[in-house]
Amino acid sequence: MEPKASDTDDFLESTVLLDEAQYEEGFKDGYNDGLGLGKEEGREVGLKLGFQVGEELGFYRGCVDVWSSAIRVDPGAFSARLRKSIEQLGELVDKYPLSEPENEQVQEMMNTMRLKFRVISAMLGVRLEYEGYPKSSETDVVDF
Amino acid sequence: MDFLEGNLELRERQRLEGHTDRVWSLAWNPATGVCGIPAMLASCSGDKTVRIWQQGPSGSWDCSAVLEDNHTRTVRSCAWSPSGKLLATASFDATTAIWECVGGDFECVATLEGHENEVKSVSWDASGSLLATCGRDKTVWIWEMQPGNEFECVSVLQGHTQDVKMVQWHPFMEVLVSVSYDNSVKIWAEDGDSDDWHCVQTLNEASSGHTSTVWAVSFNSNGDRMATCSDDLTLKIWDTSAKASETSGSSCGSWVTQYSFYLDLFCDARDKRRHLCTISGYHDRTIFSVNWSRDGVIASGAADDAIRLFFESKDNSVDVPSYKLLLKKEKAHDMDVKLSAMESKGT
Repeated sequence: MEPKASDTDDFLESTVLLDEAQYEEGFKDGYNDGLGLGKEEGREVGLKLGFQVGEELGFYRGCVDVWSSAIRVDPGAFSARLRKSIEQLGELVDKYPLSEPENEQVQEMMNTMRLKFRVISAMLGVRLEYEGYPKSSETDVVDF
Repeated sequence: MDFLEGNLELRERQRLEGHTDRVWSLAWNPATGVCGIPAMLASCSGDKTVRIWQQGPSGSWDCSAVLEDNHTRTVRSCAWSPSGKLLATASFDATTAIWECVGGDFECVATLEGHENEVKSVSWDASGSLLATCGRDKTVWIWEMQPGNEFECVSVLQGHTQDVKMVQWHPFMEVLVSVSYDNSVKIWAEDGDSDDWHCVQTLNEASSGHTSTVWAVSFNSNGDRMATCSDDLTLKIWDTSAKASETSGSSCGSWVTQYSFYLDLFCDARDKRRHLCTISGYHDRTIFSVNWSRDGVIASGAADDAIRLFFESKDNSVDVPSYKLLLKKEKAHDMDVKLSAMESKGT
């Protein structure tokens, strides 16, 4: 059993450990400030990304809804393959986990939806987009 | 004809002039040149047009049609359908046009849009009902012909990480090969009949593949061999025959024979191709094109303006086939020499 620190040691301790105490207090202040700022920044990034994802999903949802209505009006105007693709895109939009932003598969799901949308656009012969629609290729030098 | 005996010579028969910019590619009409039908050739150019050439009774070639006022940029590649009735032209303007020959005149009957930028290559499958295109947007598109010359997009294949330079269908199976600036060769096949196309194999550096941009691919007439050429100065020969896999525990029961027309079992297409040999040391500049003739001669066109012909040498004691250089024709053309069926074109 170790002897307990006596009173004579205590009053010296705070002087000796002064810079350590100061350091810890400074760290705590900085950490708390950082927590606040980080939360603010995270909120901004989250809002921005969430908006982008929502905008894209909403765009596909809107397109699928309009196309599905058109199919109901005149199913014969669309080929079986086209109807199936539109249905599949609708299912993909529904399946997207909106409340799981950290789900690892969301990027892949987005890519699948974009690809499906391109196929449908090509089949319908339309070019639909909105400002800020993600393009897969950047403009660079034309080669052979 | 035994190619390995004696001196061979490649002689220029005629120079076809007419295009006002570089000629990128050409294609022989498969329904011509036989049964008394005069041979027909299509050439496509940076001048945004496609020219049709026909061999007259005297043996000389004349330009019988010019397909113009359609593409707004370079026409990079062209391909005839197996029936010879349709011609597909792929352009840097991101579209692929389908032309129908009606009594000597060509009419554009369809325009395939979808690629985001330059389309680099187009290929018809053996049945003439599927068309594949590829481009700088790194994707490969598969289209199906519907009644009335309508084309429907079946699938957009992603997988290459760079510009896709060329696509080519297997001579009789519904298997598609694509080659790219990302140094790889990809094999694509359909899962059953569901429009679900997948990359079933990637031939890259790890599979003894190329170490730089792969520019072209060509199957032999049997479909059991495939040649690829690259910026890495080599030609590679691949075994693409349909034979039983060595791996045990495979869930695939029956194996499709080499001469069957439809690949029903998805798993039959997987991991079928392997590297056979590399032809190196013959080229010192990028090899832009490779073509395997009906007689088994492999022709290569390179940036050094030369055409080289190779043939498989039979007198070797190793299991792996090796290829001998038959001849080298220097200063044949400017860059991008492309050969088909033993005749050539250039700028």
